[in-house]
Amino acid sequence: MELMIHSSSFLLPNIPAGEEAYALVLLNQRLPQFTPLLWQHARVRVCADGGANRVYDEMPLLFPHEDAAIVRHRFKPDVIKGDMDSIRSEVLSFYSELGTDVVDESDDQDTTDLHKCIAYINGAMPNVDKSSFCILVTGALGGRFDHEAGNLNVLHRFSTTRITLLSDECLIYLLPKTHRHEIHVNSSAEGPHCGLIPMGMPSGRTTTTGLQWDLNEAEMKFGGLVSTSNIVKAEKVTVESDADLLWTISIKKF
Amino acid sequence: MDLMIHSSSFLLPSTSAGDDHRRSLTYALVLLNQRLPKFTPLLWEHEQHKFEFAPMEEPIGSMTICLFSSQTKTPPMFAAGIRIVAFKALQQRRGISICFNAYCICLLRENLWFKPDVIKGDMDSVRSEVLNFYSDLGTDVVDESDDQDTTDLHKCIAYINGVMPNLDKSSFCILVTGALGGRFDHEAGNINVLHRFSTTRITLLSDDCLIYLLPKTHRHEIHVNFSAEGPHCGLVPMGMPSRRTTTTGLQWDLNDAEMRFGGLVSTSNIVKAEKVTVESDADLLWTISIKKF
Repeated sequence: MELMIHSSSFLLPNIPAGEEAYALVLLNQRLPQFTPLLWQHARVRVCADGGANRVYDEMPLLFPHEDAAIVRHRFKPDVIKGDMDSIRSEVLSFYSELGTDVVDESDDQDTTDLHKCIAYINGAMPNVDKSSFCILVTGALGGRFDHEAGNLNVLHRFSTTRITLLSDECLIYLLPKTHRHEIHVNSSAEGPHCGLIPMGMPSGRTTTTGLQWDLNEAEMKFGGLVSTSNIVKAEKVTVESDADLLWTISIKKF
Repeated sequence: MDLMIHSSSFLLPSTSAGDDHRRSLTYALVLLNQRLPKFTPLLWEHEQHKFEFAPMEEPIGSMTICLFSSQTKTPPMFAAGIRIVAFKALQQRRGISICFNAYCICLLRENLWFKPDVIKGDMDSVRSEVLNFYSDLGTDVVDESDDQDTTDLHKCIAYINGVMPNLDKSSFCILVTGALGGRFDHEAGNINVLHRFSTTRITLLSDDCLIYLLPKTHRHEIHVNFSAEGPHCGLVPMGMPSRRTTTTGLQWDLNDAEMRFGGLVSTSNIVKAEKVTVESDADLLWTISIKKF
């Protein structure tokens, strides 16, 4: 089974050369405190509909000593995509006048805003090396649970694309069963609280190293054992499972 | 298959004589260690009495359990220096108040204070003056070392079930605030508690939505109170795919549909009728949005 390596270097101020390339998707919930750092690392920044309102309203709040207009010009999304029913008209005008690509689309009930954004980025960057490209997403967690579940489902539907959901408290990404996994933990930025969650399908056999409560060919399922409130003990955590698992780790206060 | 009826009448301002189902319900309220939702005062309101709520700026512990019934009179509530909140007594005019890790809750009966009967949990988070205050009043203090296999919520639900073994489970519901949002592993652990106690009615609440389990052992009727909830809803096969789910009353009804993570999950659905029915071969989570308070 091939190895897949994971590292949250986007949480660090400087990313080592040759490491991952990022895209950033902003959904319509309060921006995490470290959003400017993600923005700076990303090659492309896509707002899903009301996510543009968040950038417009909240980026200036993260730079309270700077002029709001200057901050807004600095943090201009590359693309705004969605059905445009949440974005405020003045926000839409502001960014389209600045040159942001506005991709209007009619409601597609089978896919969430996040799904559309991931599909868009994948389509816009067809030749990118998927093993070193990661899509970072803010605003996918919290709020309405059906939205959150739909966003977690997007990770499962695009299981060959690296997608990380981020909030102020934690991050989540998929560990597909097709690979064995090495997770490099940056303890200056993340941990120690972590968990492994068999979302949607039980796991008959999961084995880990590097955790306080390691699993040894353990069965995990909703209604039984789910690894939550676990603790990262080593700089490298390994996971091997017969099922797709969600890895989650806490993010330290910025 | 037996029918299971669901209704979020605890979100409504007052019970009315006409609704038999509401009148016979008993609730327990579990407050986990997070900011309380705005409608928490409403959970204790009854008829003419409106409660003032004094939120804790700094929670002194992780959770508490209050038991109350929708039938009895509500005593007035007041906040003391250590943030005491009052709530309704049980049908027998007596209630049980349990402080888990000493988030302070006391039961009022007929304008008199009751102290908590039990303070239970990991005593690391209880301030010593709080502990002394209650143990001087005669409260039982049960120290529990951390049990790594079960979350706080799990311990709570197990305790309530143990303390009320003869309760008719079909008319008893445990309401939980503070289980959603925050760290995702906590949220997943709390959702797992719904699956582990699939024969106990447990509803997780936030400002934005509520969630409860629809066990596959029953067919379900969900009575929607449009003044308080909806229209956004979803059905989520959290632990196990569903090969066949059928619904009525939704904008995008399912008809023997397959649902699973990686495929179709019913999210951003809309409630169209006052009664939604669900029948499935798998346990599903039902979620519906809560209207702004």
